[in-house]
Amino acid sequence: MAQSAAERASTHDLDLVAQAATGDRKAFGELVRRHGSAVRGLMRRMGADPALADDLAQDAFLAAFEQITEFRGEGAFQGWVKRIAARLYVRRWRRDSRLDLMADPPEPEADSGLGDMGAINRIDLDEALRALSDVERVCVSLCYGGGLSHGEAAQALNTPLGTVKSHVKRGLDKLRARMAPGQTLATPESVAHG
Amino acid sequence: MVDRSFEMELDRQFSDAPILPDSDLFAGRVTDLLERGWTFRRLLIGGLGVAGGLIGGGQMLGSGLVSRLGAFTAQSDTLVKMGFAQLPAARGLTDLLSAGSNLDDQVLWMSAALAALAVGLFVTRAIREI
Repeated sequence: MAQSAAERASTHDLDLVAQAATGDRKAFGELVRRHGSAVRGLMRRMGADPALADDLAQDAFLAAFEQITEFRGEGAFQGWVKRIAARLYVRRWRRDSRLDLMADPPEPEADSGLGDMGAINRIDLDEALRALSDVERVCVSLCYGGGLSHGEAAQALNTPLGTVKSHVKRGLDKLRARMAPGQTLATPESVAHG
Repeated sequence: MVDRSFEMELDRQFSDAPILPDSDLFAGRVTDLLERGWTFRRLLIGGLGVAGGLIGGGQMLGSGLVSRLGAFTAQSDTLVKMGFAQLPAARGLTDLLSAGSNLDDQVLWMSAALAALAVGLFVTRAIREI
């Protein structure tokens, strides 16, 4: 029996995933409604402009629907889609990396493009991420926003593990300086996130 | 410890995503794409099925399969008739049926009894299944 929109809104993610696995596209639509902003937000934090972020998030959700039977429910659905999206972003970023690396580092923008700007800590993070180089930003976002381990990030970026760790460490140092100026710099142990 | 707490705070802030004002619009767009993809797939599969059926049917007709099947059926019919005619018991039965002798009633009763037995077995089986 088909569920109403109100029933779907109160259904748990895992039940919606089970329904989507049987081909229920409306159930999957509810999952997109719940987690779309988070995935789009991650793409923007990784460095994509709003239009590209939406395209990548859309592709990530379409890919997630195709692979929905592979989701075993060990982690959160949102995390799973974020990982797919992060890998898609990396693929795109690697394809265009020559252009990005040759470009001058962007100046901090006045508008973060994230819509609701009410939360102070969010402004902190979004603003602080702009201080990072492209590669640092991608590495930090992959490991903290995308939930990838350093090893997985290195694999996705086709880069040595040590290089990824260095980028993450430098990125964390810059973020810490921007977000919590009074704190000490990262120790190597603290950088071994994954 | 300070660094670990900073990383935890970073994790938290990354998870704390803002709800974008057009989240329903975005969800609608993704759902539309899924629906469109599904419709396209159904049309593609249906179209390929029809095309395959037409090609297969054309091939069958073109290869003269129908006429060959007709010839094969006629040949089998002849063979069965010949074999049946050679069986003494069957011949006796045909003679019995065609002769219109006084055994007709017995044959009919036996047939009816066998049919009743078959129906009984079927009903018993059906009841068990239910």
